[in-house]
Amino acid sequence: MPSTASGGGGGGAWPESESETAAAASPSPSPSASSPTASYCMGSRPEELTARLAVNAGAGGGGGGGGGGDGERERVRTLREIKNQIIGNRTKKLQYLRLGAVPAVLAAMAEPGASPAALVQAAAAAGSFACGVDDGVRAVLEAGAVAHLTRLLAHPDEKVVDASARALRMIYQSKLAPKFDVNNEKNMEFLLTLLNRENENVTELAANIISHSCNSSTEQLALCAAGVPQRLVNLFGGSMNLRDACLHSMTAIIRNNWEVASRFALMDHGKALCSIVALIHDRSPRTRLLACLCLIALSHASPCHFQDRQIKTKLILVLLELIEEPGHVGDDAPLALTTLIKDSVELQKQALSTNAVLKLSNHLLANSLESRRAVTILLALAELCSKLEESRYQLMSVQASTLIIDALKHTCADIRVAACSCLKNISRSSKVLSAGKLSCDTFIAPLVQLLYDSSTSVQVAALGAICNIAVNLTPRKSILLHSGAVSQLVHLSKSMDPTLRLKAVWALRNIMFLLNPKGKDFILKELTLSTLSSLICDSEHFVQEQTLALVHNLVDGYVDAVDYVIGDDCTILNAISRQLNNAPAPGVCIQGMFVLANVAAGGELNKEAVMNVLVPRRADHIKSSFVLNFLQSKDKQLRVATLWCILNLIYPKCEASSVRVVRLQNTGLISQVKGMINDPCLDCKVNTPRFPPVQLRVRMVLEHCLDNADDGFM
Amino acid sequence: MFLSRIVLRDLDSIDSPVSMASSKKLVTRDEWERKLRDVKIRKEDMNRLVMNFLVTEGFVDAADKFRIESGTQPDIDLATITDRMEVKRAVQSGNVQEAIEKINDLNPTILDTNPQLYFHLQQQKLIELIRAGKINEALEFAQEELAPRGEENQAFLEEIEKTVTLLVFEDIKNCPYGELLDVSQRLKTASEVNAAILTSQSHEKDPKLPSLLKMLIWTQNQLDEKAAYPRINNFSTATLEDPAI
Repeated sequence: MPSTASGGGGGGAWPESESETAAAASPSPSPSASSPTASYCMGSRPEELTARLAVNAGAGGGGGGGGGGDGERERVRTLREIKNQIIGNRTKKLQYLRLGAVPAVLAAMAEPGASPAALVQAAAAAGSFACGVDDGVRAVLEAGAVAHLTRLLAHPDEKVVDASARALRMIYQSKLAPKFDVNNEKNMEFLLTLLNRENENVTELAANIISHSCNSSTEQLALCAAGVPQRLVNLFGGSMNLRDACLHSMTAIIRNNWEVASRFALMDHGKALCSIVALIHDRSPRTRLLACLCLIALSHASPCHFQDRQIKTKLILVLLELIEEPGHVGDDAPLALTTLIKDSVELQKQALSTNAVLKLSNHLLANSLESRRAVTILLALAELCSKLEESRYQLMSVQASTLIIDALKHTCADIRVAACSCLKNISRSSKVLSAGKLSCDTFIAPLVQLLYDSSTSVQVAALGAICNIAVNLTPRKSILLHSGAVSQLVHLSKSMDPTLRLKAVWALRNIMFLLNPKGKDFILKELTLSTLSSLICDSEHFVQEQTLALVHNLVDGYVDAVDYVIGDDCTILNAISRQLNNAPAPGVCIQGMFVLANVAAGGELNKEAVMNVLVPRRADHIKSSFVLNFLQSKDKQLRVATLWCILNLIYPKCEASSVRVVRLQNTGLISQVKGMINDPCLDCKVNTPRFPPVQLRVRMVLEHCLDNADDGFM
Repeated sequence: MFLSRIVLRDLDSIDSPVSMASSKKLVTRDEWERKLRDVKIRKEDMNRLVMNFLVTEGFVDAADKFRIESGTQPDIDLATITDRMEVKRAVQSGNVQEAIEKINDLNPTILDTNPQLYFHLQQQKLIELIRAGKINEALEFAQEELAPRGEENQAFLEEIEKTVTLLVFEDIKNCPYGELLDVSQRLKTASEVNAAILTSQSHEKDPKLPSLLKMLIWTQNQLDEKAAYPRINNFSTATLEDPAI
């Protein structure tokens, strides 16, 4: 049984691997005898090599001597040749996969009498198949590679152990590799034996397995209880690659786990933590980055054990320096910085004080926008601008802002998205907006162009920026109106993608905000009433909500716009009525009631139209009005909006109003309002300067009811 | 590293008592040499620096002799240097396939996880085929092996195009991109291979001595602005030269 540890190597095997091994043993292709004619045909094409390997299967095992004979030499040669062809070469890997070479390679590994040389070559080939090609990983896993290679970790020959550990590391790099269940006691024991081995290839493998498999908090706690963090810290003394692997798995154990993080912070009187802090100044840039990432994970998981501001400042400085490093390290450093400062005004201020915005934008200016690094740097800049006004000003300085415009027009979609995120966050500043820096053609034109982008994520990002810019564009809305944005926004509001619909409507809503009547008419002409009414009845409630908010902005401060709502046979009003009666999400109800309140503020015609929504004139009307439910809603805003609506219906005092009061009274609405004055949750002190709006409206409604119905009904 | 720290510390002590506005502080040879004598550098540290240089640059015999004579233990198994040097030599003499196979024997993960290096080796292989005048073979190799790499990576595609240009010209030495046929191209590839193997062995890819020398030059330049002192101008003899007054 392969799952028993063989003495010499001092290792073990997956305790749970029996079934896998059994499954793997079967597919070994075994023609009864090797054909000499085939094996002496020395071609090197994949077809020939694969065939030769299949023919050779079983050749070495016959004598039981392990490694003797021409057949075995031939097999080693074939395996080595295949290995040399596939390493680094995706095309060849796929070709061999199609030829079914993987089971044959694995069969060579399963051979009882296989020589160490053959095992080394087979393990290397299996590892290579698992590198960079998903189908390769699948094939290797299906052929039982994990079980075979694990068994070989206990092989007496160190070269076989090295090759197997490397191959397993390749496999565990893939997301497709099975998770190693550390909650199983035997598995944990096995993992510990690996961590305690002398061979650094094996200990590095153990660290990789932890990084790959540890993501639930029970797993993290189990590893912590087994003393794994301590062992990993001890391994920091090993080679550079081992240390990096250990740092990476340490991060996996700590991430988002308060208990593990705080235990680690206190481990050895804080020495373990200190050893990681020391590594942020290591000579190797990769080690510095991994140490930073580990500390960031620690500070997020357990803020109370990580209050040292100095360390955080150091992290910021180290990460900013790492941006200058070539390769992945420099690419990922801005991402780490983003994670570090996310949602923390304090850290963003600290980053700003170390000139982060300037350093990041200078790096972009000095290098071309051609890399993943441009994306990560732009995202870090966006994060820096998410809250701090000063960051926004710095980024809007002459040079950096032209850079963002270039990024908006870049061929790489991710760069365009990142540039939009920057603009979105910069445009959160009302000062930047009112200074008009963003509402000029240089920014608007490329942004509007991105609404036509072939990538949805770019469109969504551009919509985000336009939404914000539109809010405070009051004197300059014409630029946006005449940029061609409106027609494309209307087009996007009919998209199949709900996020696009949402953001497009949202942008229209913001453009509509405080717009002049001419502008509003222009948008409505583009949008059309039928589109508007179908958007009100959209399948997604967040789209419905934004659409109603759009209507709210439309009728707000523009009396004639009410015609859009109650004209055309009340298409829009009916749509709103339908939604409100279906009692959808609170957000939809609130916006709907605000629209009704605004409409009810108009003349008799308007009031009657709204009245018919609230209290339908139907003989068979038995169902209680939705307004009753709204008045009982837990949502304060909904109660306010509803009360406003009622108030507008019965104001000013006139005969028609009195009739409406009676109608409202008949449906029980007025008594409901009356009940609200004693509502415990509204039991606020009436005399406080900050008068609770709900209670204020309740009183106003009741007062008007009294005025209208002279004899009083209270 | 420690050398520069010592110099900087001295710089402080020179700097502080001087408040003469424009003229630089003069340090005489005697004074300078006395200060230098005060600096204690451990012999073992110097030996480790030398060993680091020999190991990184791959002088295996010298490293072994030095180990025996000085008792300094290399931070890497000397046998791996021999392997690394064989790979390097193979590239330098144009045997690229041999080099690839040796790298894969050394550690099969190097070329799988380093696509750029793998590509450069393949490119070098194509260059060698062209140099040997095996035009048909070169064309076939470019099509079957290199073209797929170009599809995966735009930068690789441009490199392939440059290399294939060599096939168009009769006088390839003088054609555009003819420098690809220079020995320097082989050396460039060889040093990339060397660095990748060192990294895979957790060893720094550059020796420490050259960066120490760079620091010395930088420090002297900084010092020049503040003081006249016995300078080292010839780095191969490291003789102190009297300050010019």
